[in-house]
Amino acid sequence: MDRNELLTQIKTIFIDILDNEELVIGETSTANNVDDWDSLTHIQLVVAIEKHFKIRFTSKEIQSWKNVGEMLTCIKNKGI
Amino acid sequence: MNFELGNKFEECFVLSNEVYNGFIVVFKDKNPLHTNNQFAVNKGFKNKIMHGNILNGFLSYFIGECLPTKDVIIHSQEIQFKNAVYLNDELQFNAEIIGIYDSVNAIEFTYSFKNKEELIVAKGKIQIGLLK
Repeated sequence: MDRNELLTQIKTIFIDILDNEELVIGETSTANNVDDWDSLTHIQLVVAIEKHFKIRFTSKEIQSWKNVGEMLTCIKNKGI
Repeated sequence: MNFELGNKFEECFVLSNEVYNGFIVVFKDKNPLHTNNQFAVNKGFKNKIMHGNILNGFLSYFIGECLPTKDVIIHSQEIQFKNAVYLNDELQFNAEIIGIYDSVNAIEFTYSFKNKEELIVAKGKIQIGLLK
Protein backbone atom coordinates (compact mmCIF):
# COMPACT_ATOMS: atom_id res chain seq x y z
CA MET A 1 0.00 0.00 0.00
CA ASP A 2 1.17 3.49 -0.84
CA ARG A 3 2.41 5.33 2.28
CA ASN A 4 -0.01 8.22 1.76
CA GLU A 5 -2.92 5.79 1.44
CA LEU A 6 -1.71 4.08 4.60
CA LEU A 7 -1.64 7.41 6.43
CA THR A 8 -5.17 8.15 5.18
CA GLN A 9 -6.44 4.85 6.57
CA ILE A 10 -4.62 5.42 9.85
CA LYS A 11 -6.13 8.87 10.07
CA THR A 12 -9.63 7.38 9.66
CA ILE A 13 -8.92 5.03 12.58
CA PHE A 14 -7.62 7.91 14.72
CA ILE A 15 -10.73 9.99 13.93
CA ASP A 16 -12.96 7.12 14.99
CA ILE A 17 -11.11 6.25 18.19
CA LEU A 18 -10.39 9.83 19.26
CA ASP A 19 -13.88 10.88 18.17
CA ASN A 20 -12.57 14.01 16.47
CA GLU A 21 -13.69 14.70 12.90
CA GLU A 22 -11.37 17.72 12.73
CA LEU A 23 -8.30 15.70 13.63
CA VAL A 24 -5.16 16.49 11.68
CA ILE A 25 -2.31 14.04 11.92
CA GLY A 26 0.90 13.58 9.98
CA GLU A 27 4.01 11.49 10.21
CA THR A 28 5.48 13.72 12.92
CA SER A 29 2.38 13.59 15.13
CA THR A 30 2.86 12.23 18.63
CA ALA A 31 0.70 11.71 21.70
CA ASN A 32 2.07 15.03 22.94
CA ASN A 33 0.57 17.06 20.11
CA VAL A 34 -2.66 15.17 19.40
CA ASP A 35 -5.54 15.96 21.74
CA ASP A 36 -6.96 13.04 23.74
CA TRP A 37 -4.25 10.59 22.63
CA ASP A 38 -3.64 9.15 26.08
CA SER A 39 -2.61 5.74 27.37
CA LEU A 40 -6.10 4.25 27.14
CA THR A 41 -6.86 5.57 23.66
CA HIS A 42 -3.41 4.38 22.62
CA ILE A 43 -4.49 0.82 23.46
CA GLN A 44 -7.70 1.32 21.49
CA LEU A 45 -5.73 2.70 18.54
CA VAL A 46 -3.34 -0.25 18.51
CA VAL A 47 -6.18 -2.77 18.73
CA ALA A 48 -8.12 -0.99 15.97
CA ILE A 49 -5.05 -0.88 13.72
CA GLU A 50 -4.26 -4.55 14.34
CA LYS A 51 -7.87 -5.46 13.48
CA HIS A 52 -8.05 -3.21 10.43
CA PHE A 53 -4.86 -4.48 8.80
CA LYS A 54 -5.09 -8.00 10.26
CA ILE A 55 -1.62 -7.71 11.72
CA ARG A 56 -0.12 -8.09 15.18
CA PHE A 57 2.47 -5.89 16.82
CA THR A 58 4.80 -6.79 19.63
CA SER A 59 5.00 -4.67 22.74
CA LYS A 60 8.62 -3.96 21.80
CA GLU A 61 7.54 -2.54 18.45
CA ILE A 62 4.94 -0.31 20.04
CA GLN A 63 7.35 1.00 22.62
CA SER A 64 9.83 1.87 19.88
CA TRP A 65 7.49 4.25 18.05
CA LYS A 66 8.35 7.90 18.50
CA ASN A 67 5.66 9.26 16.18
CA VAL A 68 2.99 8.28 13.66
CA GLY A 69 5.63 7.96 10.93
CA GLU A 70 7.40 5.20 12.85
CA MET A 71 4.06 3.51 13.36
CA LEU A 72 3.50 3.63 9.57
CA THR A 73 6.95 2.18 8.92
CA CYS A 74 6.24 -0.66 11.32
CA ILE A 75 2.96 -1.39 9.53
CA LYS A 76 4.68 -1.23 6.13
CA ASN A 77 7.29 -3.68 7.37
CA LYS A 78 4.49 -6.18 7.98
CA GLY A 79 3.75 -6.24 4.27
CA ILE A 80 0.90 -3.75 4.18
CA MET B 1 -2.32 -15.89 32.99
CA ASN B 2 -2.94 -17.69 29.74
CA PHE B 3 -5.95 -16.81 27.66
CA GLU B 4 -6.41 -18.35 24.25
CA LEU B 5 -8.54 -17.60 21.27
CA GLY B 6 -11.76 -19.56 21.48
CA ASN B 7 -11.73 -19.92 25.28
CA LYS B 8 -15.35 -20.12 26.41
CA PHE B 9 -16.98 -19.06 29.66
CA GLU B 10 -20.48 -19.46 31.00
CA GLU B 11 -22.48 -18.26 33.95
CA CYS B 12 -26.10 -18.27 35.04
CA PHE B 13 -27.70 -15.08 36.30
CA VAL B 14 -31.12 -14.63 37.88
CA LEU B 15 -32.83 -11.30 37.63
CA SER B 16 -34.08 -11.48 41.18
CA ASN B 17 -36.13 -9.04 43.20
CA GLU B 18 -32.96 -8.12 45.05
CA VAL B 19 -31.18 -7.13 41.84
CA TYR B 20 -34.21 -5.33 40.40
CA ASN B 21 -35.00 -3.40 43.56
CA GLY B 22 -31.35 -2.63 44.17
CA PHE B 23 -30.99 -1.15 40.70
CA ILE B 24 -33.98 1.11 41.25
CA VAL B 25 -32.80 2.18 44.69
CA VAL B 26 -29.35 3.04 43.40
CA PHE B 27 -30.17 4.58 40.01
CA LYS B 28 -33.71 5.91 40.55
CA ASP B 29 -35.02 4.78 37.14
CA LYS B 30 -38.69 4.19 37.95
CA ASN B 31 -39.94 4.55 34.39
CA PRO B 32 -43.36 2.84 34.26
CA LEU B 33 -42.11 0.38 31.68
CA HIS B 34 -40.00 -1.04 34.51
CA THR B 35 -42.39 -0.55 37.41
CA ASN B 36 -45.98 -0.71 36.15
CA ASN B 37 -47.26 -4.00 34.78
CA GLN B 38 -50.31 -2.53 33.05
CA PHE B 39 -48.27 0.22 31.40
CA ALA B 40 -45.84 -2.38 30.04
CA VAL B 41 -48.67 -4.65 28.84
CA ASN B 42 -50.21 -1.70 27.00
CA LYS B 43 -46.89 -1.28 25.21
CA GLY B 44 -46.95 -4.87 24.04
CA PHE B 45 -44.89 -6.62 26.69
CA LYS B 46 -45.94 -9.58 28.84
CA ASN B 47 -45.28 -7.65 32.03
CA LYS B 48 -43.04 -4.89 33.35
CA ILE B 49 -39.62 -5.31 31.82
CA MET B 50 -36.29 -5.17 33.55
CA HIS B 51 -33.81 -2.39 32.98
CA GLY B 52 -31.44 -3.43 30.20
CA ASN B 53 -28.53 -1.93 32.04
CA ILE B 54 -28.91 -4.45 34.83
CA LEU B 55 -27.24 -6.80 32.37
CA ASN B 56 -24.24 -4.49 32.35
CA GLY B 57 -23.95 -5.21 36.05
CA PHE B 58 -23.81 -8.92 35.27
CA LEU B 59 -21.11 -8.18 32.71
CA SER B 60 -19.16 -6.30 35.33
CA TYR B 61 -19.44 -9.29 37.66
CA PHE B 62 -18.28 -11.65 34.91
CA ILE B 63 -15.19 -9.61 34.11
CA GLY B 64 -14.37 -8.75 37.70
CA GLU B 65 -15.10 -12.04 39.40
CA CYS B 66 -15.37 -14.95 36.98
CA LEU B 67 -12.18 -14.78 34.94
CA PRO B 68 -9.14 -16.73 36.12
CA THR B 69 -7.37 -13.51 37.10
CA LYS B 70 -8.36 -10.42 39.06
CA ASP B 71 -5.84 -8.28 37.17
CA VAL B 72 -8.41 -6.96 34.70
CA ILE B 73 -9.94 -3.68 33.65
CA ILE B 74 -12.71 -3.04 31.13
CA HIS B 75 -11.58 -0.89 28.20
CA SER B 76 -14.84 -0.83 26.28
CA GLN B 77 -18.06 -2.71 25.86
CA GLU B 78 -21.07 -2.71 23.60
CA ILE B 79 -24.45 -4.27 24.14
CA GLN B 80 -27.47 -4.82 21.93
CA PHE B 81 -30.79 -5.54 23.58
CA LYS B 82 -32.76 -8.07 21.54
CA ASN B 83 -35.64 -9.19 23.75
CA ALA B 84 -37.23 -8.12 26.99
CA VAL B 85 -36.12 -9.56 30.33
CA TYR B 86 -38.70 -10.07 33.07
CA LEU B 87 -38.49 -10.32 36.82
CA ASN B 88 -37.08 -13.68 37.98
CA ASP B 89 -35.87 -14.62 34.50
CA GLU B 90 -32.89 -16.95 34.55
CA LEU B 91 -30.31 -15.91 32.00
CA GLN B 92 -27.64 -18.13 30.53
CA PHE B 93 -24.52 -16.09 29.87
CA ASN B 94 -21.93 -17.28 27.39
CA ALA B 95 -18.72 -15.54 26.40
CA GLU B 96 -15.89 -16.43 24.05
CA ILE B 97 -12.51 -14.87 23.43
CA ILE B 98 -12.39 -13.60 19.86
CA GLY B 99 -9.28 -11.45 19.97
CA ILE B 100 -6.02 -11.38 21.85
CA TYR B 101 -3.78 -8.34 21.51
CA ASP B 102 -0.57 -9.21 23.30
CA SER B 103 1.11 -5.96 22.31
CA VAL B 104 -1.21 -4.01 24.59
CA ASN B 105 -2.35 -6.84 26.91
CA ALA B 106 -5.93 -6.64 25.66
CA ILE B 107 -8.53 -9.32 25.13
CA GLU B 108 -11.81 -9.10 23.26
CA PHE B 109 -14.86 -11.21 24.10
CA THR B 110 -18.13 -11.73 22.37
CA TYR B 111 -21.00 -12.60 24.67
CA SER B 112 -24.70 -13.28 24.81
CA PHE B 113 -27.45 -13.64 27.39
CA LYS B 114 -30.21 -16.16 26.64
CA ASN B 115 -33.43 -16.70 28.53
CA LYS B 116 -35.07 -20.05 29.33
CA GLU B 117 -36.74 -20.05 25.92
CA GLU B 118 -33.25 -19.89 24.35
CA LEU B 119 -33.99 -16.42 23.03
CA ILE B 120 -31.02 -14.09 22.95
CA VAL B 121 -32.02 -11.16 25.11
CA ALA B 122 -28.76 -9.28 24.70
CA LYS B 123 -25.40 -9.68 23.03
CA GLY B 124 -22.28 -7.69 22.39
CA LYS B 125 -18.55 -7.40 22.80
CA ILE B 126 -16.22 -6.42 25.62
CA GLN B 127 -12.59 -5.49 25.47
CA ILE B 128 -10.57 -5.81 28.64
CA GLY B 129 -7.02 -5.07 29.60
CA LEU B 130 -4.82 -7.35 31.69
CA LEU B 131 -3.08 -5.34 34.36
CA LYS B 132 0.60 -5.99 35.02
